[in-house]
Amino acid sequence: MMGRILALVRKDLQLFFRDPRGLMLVFLMPFMFIVIMRLAMRGAYGDDDAPIRVLAVVEDRGDRAASVLGDLEKLGGFAVETARDGRPLDRAAAAELVADGERPLAVIFPPGFSQALEAGPGESPAPAVVEVMIDPASPVQLVQPLVGTLQGMIERSMYLAMVPRGVDLVIDWVAPQTGSARRAELQTISRQATAGVSGDGGASPVRIERVAPPGMAVEKMPDSFQQNIPGYTVFGIFWIVSLIAHSIHDERRQGTFRRLLVAPLGRGTMLAGKLIPFFLVNLLQAAVMLGAAGAIFGVGLGHSPAGLLVVAVAAAAASSGLGVLVSAFARTEAQIGGLTTMLLLALSAVGGCFVPRVIMPDWLRTVGLASPHAWALDGFQDILVRGQGVVDVLPRAGALLAFAAVFFLVGVWRFRFE
Amino acid sequence: MSTPILEAEDLQKSYGGRRAVDGLSFAVAPGEIFGLLGPNGAGKSTTLAMLSTLFPPDAGRIVIDGVDAVREPNRVRPGLGFVPQELALYPALGARDNLAFFGRIYGLHGRALEQRVDAVLDVVGLRDRAADPVRTFSGGMTRRLNLAAGLVHSPRILFLDEPTVGVDPQSRNFIFDHVRRLRDEGLAILYTSHYMEEVERLCDRVAIVDEGRLLALDTPQALIRGQGQGLLVVGLPPSALAPEARFADALHAAARATVREGLLYLEVRDLNEALLELLALCKERNVALTSLRVLEPSLESVFLKLTGKRLRD
Repeated sequence: MMGRILALVRKDLQLFFRDPRGLMLVFLMPFMFIVIMRLAMRGAYGDDDAPIRVLAVVEDRGDRAASVLGDLEKLGGFAVETARDGRPLDRAAAAELVADGERPLAVIFPPGFSQALEAGPGESPAPAVVEVMIDPASPVQLVQPLVGTLQGMIERSMYLAMVPRGVDLVIDWVAPQTGSARRAELQTISRQATAGVSGDGGASPVRIERVAPPGMAVEKMPDSFQQNIPGYTVFGIFWIVSLIAHSIHDERRQGTFRRLLVAPLGRGTMLAGKLIPFFLVNLLQAAVMLGAAGAIFGVGLGHSPAGLLVVAVAAAAASSGLGVLVSAFARTEAQIGGLTTMLLLALSAVGGCFVPRVIMPDWLRTVGLASPHAWALDGFQDILVRGQGVVDVLPRAGALLAFAAVFFLVGVWRFRFE
Repeated sequence: MSTPILEAEDLQKSYGGRRAVDGLSFAVAPGEIFGLLGPNGAGKSTTLAMLSTLFPPDAGRIVIDGVDAVREPNRVRPGLGFVPQELALYPALGARDNLAFFGRIYGLHGRALEQRVDAVLDVVGLRDRAADPVRTFSGGMTRRLNLAAGLVHSPRILFLDEPTVGVDPQSRNFIFDHVRRLRDEGLAILYTSHYMEEVERLCDRVAIVDEGRLLALDTPQALIRGQGQGLLVVGLPPSALAPEARFADALHAAARATVREGLLYLEVRDLNEALLELLALCKERNVALTSLRVLEPSLESVFLKLTGKRLRD
């Protein structure tokens, strides 16, 4: 029997590697998806090497706007551009760049910005309006954090400007005879306190650190692109369903199944011989995609190759089972095309391949559990970005194998070789 | 006939209440080409599918080489070669790859496999195209390779289901010559076709089937001889064909006369005498002929006589 299964496997592998459409679907399509998303997200979110580029038009007559922009750059993740072609950026040039989509947004500091910030108690200067010029099509997820950060920077600058004046006012009221040297010393201390720096020049007593939950060992936090690599990988793995369904349809249409049915083969042997090559292609596909993501984009592959293998094997089993199920119900080329596209896109979407499930509504996250993509994705993310190991992914692999069993049993129940 | 290698007894198969095969019985001997002749939908392919163990009959018995093929299909399968009506090959693979695959499925490997593949490639004249993908082959070449794939494992019985559909005359003759050679080598061949010329030329015995039933079974020569000098198909007004007119009874040159679907079928012993008698009778009774067809004795006329239908209807 083994020899006959090997003959079937060899034949389907020969057919697969001679079919450019199949190769494109399995290897090129998901990889192109990765590359395109990589390029697209680079523009929107940036990555380690490419901060978000912010245009700044400084009409301010004082130095407060420059101070805010300096703080923004020190924060990291932002590159502030105040000049273009050697000339200070003006409102019209900034508007053109934003309108052309070359930059996501521009910040315009008005002429009275410093004056407004430095107004002492009792003074009432005209309010300074800082404009944030945004392409209306820019995603709110990009714009809102940036506006929030800018707001924080401006308020910090405002406090730094206002506090010494307030100190002066308090001294005039409490001890007007205080000398100028003493006044300057008190103003420095109060400015440092406002800036969040202790008197001895040490670091702020409050800081923010990114940490992983217990059991997740992350040496370097992945960027949003890296977090999505497992999603594209899972998306690609399940496209094998289309190839399986088309291959089975071809065998029915050509009459080769009919010929094999009168050969000394069991039907189980025939089905095993049909699925094993696609299962192997799936493993190769996962290895190629993750390997390429690591080699080309520097994506970390975690510390557990065995864990990756376990998840890949379980995901490949689920996709093979789904292939049998689709083949059982779709009997024509058109049905296969329609059913696989609809099913795979829906399962990928609710499974979190395109949008992280964590930001989905609760009910949709629950629905997502019915998608094998969700379990495969979590399994890969456990290894790739959560730093977990083979034991940690066993429950996910178990769920995928359960999907495989259900798909396969229902598929075989309804399967027709002719 | 020598001891049969295949025996079918009272085979029956129905699909959703429609009886596709209705009590067929026959036997095939080694070294014999046995033809199943009938129009499309007559039940030929269903019969072949049951005999080749593709699916079991609803009732009846199939014995192949002494083994009950319905109960033990896996025991008889290694000795069966099946050439389906479809071109059951992998178009993206080469001729050699296709044959090697089917050989491996039947347990061949290594040197023995290579030798068998080379041998059948030679037999069907495709050795020089062995590496080319099948999708680049002409219809005739693909048919020949389809035949080769049924032979690569050296079967004892070969089932050929309409193997010449869509084939050019040259390839058809090639297939005929080869099928005869296989018969001479002792292979039992079961051949279905709706081309009566093919069956007449090729088969040692013919079973004529229609609507799943066996209508006649003999050598082509014997079946044709039974037609006398041919068949006259005569169109007459309904009044002349009415039973009380007893028109046919007055035609003594006809061995047998039947009326079916408004036509009078006359099996004639002497064509000239029958025609003269027919025209004289029409004149005597003042009956106008509406049509007249003379069919030379052939399997076509045998089938027409038996069913009132032409084979290609």
